[in-house]
Amino acid sequence: MDFELIKKALIDSADELDIKEYEIYYSSRTGTSVETLGKEISSLNSSSSGGVCFRCLVNGRMGYASTELMEASEMGELVRRAVVNAENTEKEDNVGIYAGSESYGKTNSPEYKPLSAEQMKKTALSIQNENYAASDKVTDGTQSAVETEEMTVRIVNSHGLDLVNTSGVNIVYSAAVVLDKGEHQDDYAVEEYGKLSDKELAEKAVRGALDNIGAEIVDTGKYDIVIAAKQMRTILSVFSSAFSAKTAQSGMSLLAGKEGQRIAAEIINITDDPMREGVSVQSPFDAEGVAAYRKDVVKDGVLLTLLHNRETAMRAGRETTANASKGAYSSPVSVSPYAFCIEAGGNTLEELFAMAENGIYVTEVKGLHAGANPVTGDFSIESAGFLIKDGKKATPVRSFTIAGNFFDMLKAISALSDKVEVGIGGPTVFGSPAVLIKDMSVAGK
Amino acid sequence: MLEKRLIEDILGIAVSTGADFAEVYCELTRNSSIRLLDGRIETISDTTVSGVGIRAFLGTRTVYGSTSDISRKGLEKCAGAVAAAMGDEKLPKSVRLTERIFPNIHPVKIVPTDADMKIRTELLREGCSAAKEYDSRIVQVVGGLASVDHTIQIANTEGLLTSDRHIRTRMVVDATASSGEEMQSGRFGPGRGMGLETFELFPPKEIGITAAKEAITNLTASYCPAGKMTVAIENGFGGVIFHEACGHSLEATSVGTGTSQMCGKLGQKIANEKVTAIDDGTIPGAWGSVNIDDEGNPTRRNVLIENGVLKSYMIDRLGSRRMGMPMTGNSRRESYKYEPTSRMTNTFIDNGPDKNEDIISSIEYGLYAKSMGGGSVNPLTGEFNFAVSEGYMVRNGKICEAVRGASLIGTGAEILMNIDMVGQNLATGQGMCGSSSGSIPTDVGQPLIRVSSITVGGKG
Repeated sequence: MDFELIKKALIDSADELDIKEYEIYYSSRTGTSVETLGKEISSLNSSSSGGVCFRCLVNGRMGYASTELMEASEMGELVRRAVVNAENTEKEDNVGIYAGSESYGKTNSPEYKPLSAEQMKKTALSIQNENYAASDKVTDGTQSAVETEEMTVRIVNSHGLDLVNTSGVNIVYSAAVVLDKGEHQDDYAVEEYGKLSDKELAEKAVRGALDNIGAEIVDTGKYDIVIAAKQMRTILSVFSSAFSAKTAQSGMSLLAGKEGQRIAAEIINITDDPMREGVSVQSPFDAEGVAAYRKDVVKDGVLLTLLHNRETAMRAGRETTANASKGAYSSPVSVSPYAFCIEAGGNTLEELFAMAENGIYVTEVKGLHAGANPVTGDFSIESAGFLIKDGKKATPVRSFTIAGNFFDMLKAISALSDKVEVGIGGPTVFGSPAVLIKDMSVAGK
Repeated sequence: MLEKRLIEDILGIAVSTGADFAEVYCELTRNSSIRLLDGRIETISDTTVSGVGIRAFLGTRTVYGSTSDISRKGLEKCAGAVAAAMGDEKLPKSVRLTERIFPNIHPVKIVPTDADMKIRTELLREGCSAAKEYDSRIVQVVGGLASVDHTIQIANTEGLLTSDRHIRTRMVVDATASSGEEMQSGRFGPGRGMGLETFELFPPKEIGITAAKEAITNLTASYCPAGKMTVAIENGFGGVIFHEACGHSLEATSVGTGTSQMCGKLGQKIANEKVTAIDDGTIPGAWGSVNIDDEGNPTRRNVLIENGVLKSYMIDRLGSRRMGMPMTGNSRRESYKYEPTSRMTNTFIDNGPDKNEDIISSIEYGLYAKSMGGGSVNPLTGEFNFAVSEGYMVRNGKICEAVRGASLIGTGAEILMNIDMVGQNLATGQGMCGSSSGSIPTDVGQPLIRVSSITVGGKG
């Protein structure tokens, strides 16, 4: 596929139909993954795909059409489809296509070197050997995997803007299954390649699975809860849509109109950074081509801004926060964060346990797509973890739910751990430290 | 779609380094999606998905490659990469294909992606307006009308060459109600493996009203109390309980790798004898139906559990090799970008012996889950969770006040035994099921059932 040929065909078709304002958004992904089962490589999967989205302004309405059929002969039809879609759209578009920012930041992600298939096989087998070496309780079904993925986004538009960003990440994965005292349990560990040794990764997963053996069901009641960093960032991800001005302007966010107001405990700071240090997938521009930048979203518990694209910003009478996004290359322009993180507090995890004294340490949350409602903030989610007894992590517990309301919970967080754990990959990732919340509802036996 | 000769060459390359089997999956899909917000058509977008997936087997080892470059050069490169990853032997093989045409049991009257855009936008508007007009406390309605026209071609080194076209249509209305203080939401999203005639079965007005009713009910509901109780789960999407609690654990994806609690349990009693459960991909026009699965096998009606006894798993080609059992027509994938695996189609608990009114009147204190949200499961431990999107307390055999924010959790093994009453109003609900081979349409279903004891999560 020659992008220049596709670009020329699209521009020619647009000229023919006298379309003055348009954007060509191209995105491609190539990736390879290797998986093991038993002590052998069970599958190797490689993929390469790319697609182009053409969007254009016709009589003040925006129309979209996309295709993966990357042939110049298809582009005339693509433009015609976008025009028909624009003609049938009723919402006026007041911002059109973006002319470009004065300057763009530079990404600082670690250099991406894709792993070769041979390196991936070797690493996957090595992790798998370490899985089995970590404990004689490790059993069938234990798997390890290695993945590499490279993504490119290119935006070309009728104002002469031409931006390109390429990023990539190598990921290692261990999913351990253990059998002990007649009981099966599992856990997984995932990391960017090179951050942990194969042994450390395997031991993390195996230890996690073994820790779950013999878990008991807790009594229904109110508990002081410490939510592990990884789980808290998952919860944050589900409710992050409330911080989108697009959601707020649709009447579906309880944060609408709350800028300048206290929405969280004073210790809470939330930032959004397109080039957060240590994150592999970074972006110097958003999906409209606006230069992306770091912003404080919540400072000392006060909501400073919602996240905007150019359209929501215009409706709100302010500047965009450069958070325009596309879920896939073919999606309409929406709003998403980059690295959206609750920043660290001053306590160690052990200090959080001590502050809870007697309670529950939640290390697993499941089914959030169903058990949490981002509009209302209500959640009731299946969890697993450990009892906290006399200020220390104690025996495992499982099959209970924690329930509450996210917006109440933000106000009720009474302490934060000192280490933020950020997700892997991108373009959107979430991060959080562990948090302490008093008096949460727990349903068990 | 690809020329037969080209596919034969590609398959030849894929098996040239020692593979014992190879398969080509070619896809051309038109997705069209209309979104309505604030009473206006907000966006219309359509996307063409086009590409090829090539898979090679050697025993239970697989190599999969996919590409959106469907030129001869692009396909040869992809097949070459698959072959190189499989081995370094040189064993040229020639492949001869014979075309096979399977009957189309899911006829479509009005191909949605071809229908006039005005007709489609009006259908969606009708659904959304009905929701907005239902009650003045409905403050926002978001509607989506999605249609998919999916053509596939499958060939393999056993000589199979076949193709199929699958069309599906769905309208989803999300209604948000506000009391001024707080908000609650309701959703209804029926769909069928049919064209626009789907809306003869589901008039858009009813879709909108159903979503709005749920939002208003939740607005006036108090928080659900927590603890173990008896729960009656209504028909339709209530069947998600079986999908999560048991269905995933019967897929070869987990059974074949030894990571399912259902391993080795064929012929054993795993559920209450009132429970018979079926996976049936042949129901005409159903949301999860297809003529052939994504490995080119015709779909079937598989009885999974009969009167409480486990009768069958759902098995794809790789699972068949791992488990030494025949394939069941359950291999599915979201697109050419995914290696297929065993998945559900239309999965439901069949009608049972109990009258619906007896089920409610038998409950002294419990929950009536009228409408369910989604859920998830760990197939290894069978632990599952799912959300109740509209629920009511039951006292002394009568349905009482509405409660919200409830979820049900438990393990598959336990709940299957605890389903102690099965009613007679079997109906299905539509979902998108996510797993390792992507997101696919599946139907869940059941009549009204009673679960004698299950943990209800809530904050009331």
